[in-house]
Amino acid sequence: MRRACYSAVIVSLLSAACMHDRKPETQPSPAAGTPDTTKAAPAPAAKPPASSTKAKPKGQDTPAPTAHTPAAKPQPAAPAKAQPAAPVQTSAPTLDLEALKTRLKETKAIGLMTKLSLKNQVDDLLDEFRKHHSGNPTPTMAELRRSYDLLMMKVLSLLQDHDQRLASDIVSSRERIWGLLADPKKFAALQV
Amino acid sequence: MTKRLAHSLLVIACLTIPVFAQQDEKALKKDLTAVIALQGKPCGEVVSVTVLKQNDYAATCKDGNKYHVYENEKGRVVVDKQ
Repeated sequence: MRRACYSAVIVSLLSAACMHDRKPETQPSPAAGTPDTTKAAPAPAAKPPASSTKAKPKGQDTPAPTAHTPAAKPQPAAPAKAQPAAPVQTSAPTLDLEALKTRLKETKAIGLMTKLSLKNQVDDLLDEFRKHHSGNPTPTMAELRRSYDLLMMKVLSLLQDHDQRLASDIVSSRERIWGLLADPKKFAALQV
Repeated sequence: MTKRLAHSLLVIACLTIPVFAQQDEKALKKDLTAVIALQGKPCGEVVSVTVLKQNDYAATCKDGNKYHVYENEKGRVVVDKQ
C-alpha cells in the first residue's frame, strides 16, 4: 500500500512537470530587447506603410520611394513619425544574411515544414530579384518591395510570440537586407 | 528496494511517453497550420494530422477543409486541397 502511494506521488509530480506548456524560446532582455520588441512586433502587422516610409530617408534605390508613395498617402503624419524612428534603427543591432539564415534555421519558434515553406518563398523572391537585376521589366522594384515586406511580415508573425529577440533583430535589419537585395552590385556579390 | 524503483520508473515511462507524443502532435498541428496559412489557403487551425511518411501529412482543419501537405522531390512544400 505504502509502495503504491510512493509510486503515485512520483508519477503525478513528474507528469505534472511534463504537462507544462513550452515557454517562449527566448525572453527579451530587459535592457535592450523589450522596447524594441514592443515597437517592432506590431509595426509590420498593423502599419506596413510606416515601415515603407522608413525606407525613404535611406535612399537605397530610386524606384522604392515611388512604390510607397500611394501607400503612404492615407497617412499624412507618416514622414514626421519616421524622423524620430531613424536613430533607433541605426543604433539597434543588425544581422547579416548569413547570421539571419543560421538563426532562422536554429530557432524552435518555427516548425520544420514552415521553415521549408518559408525557404521556398525566399528562393522565389530571390529569383524575382535576379530577373529584375538582369533587366527584365516584369517585377518592378515596387512589386519587389511589396513582396519583400509581405514575406518579412510572415516571418515576423511566426517569430514574434516565441522568439522575440530574433523578431526584433530582423526588424532592425530589415532595411539593411533590403539594401543588399535592391542594389544590383550588392545582390550580385551575395552568395545566394 | 531495487524492484520498487524499477516499478516506479516503468510507471513513469508509461505515463510520460504519451505526454511527449501529445506535445509533438500539438507542435506538428501548429506547424501545418502555419504552412497552410503561408500558402494562403483557408483553414483556421489544423485539428487532426495523419503522418503518411516523412514530411508528408494529411491535415484536417477546423473549418472542415482537408489538405495533403508534403515536400515534393524539388524540395518545395506543396499544399493540395482534398
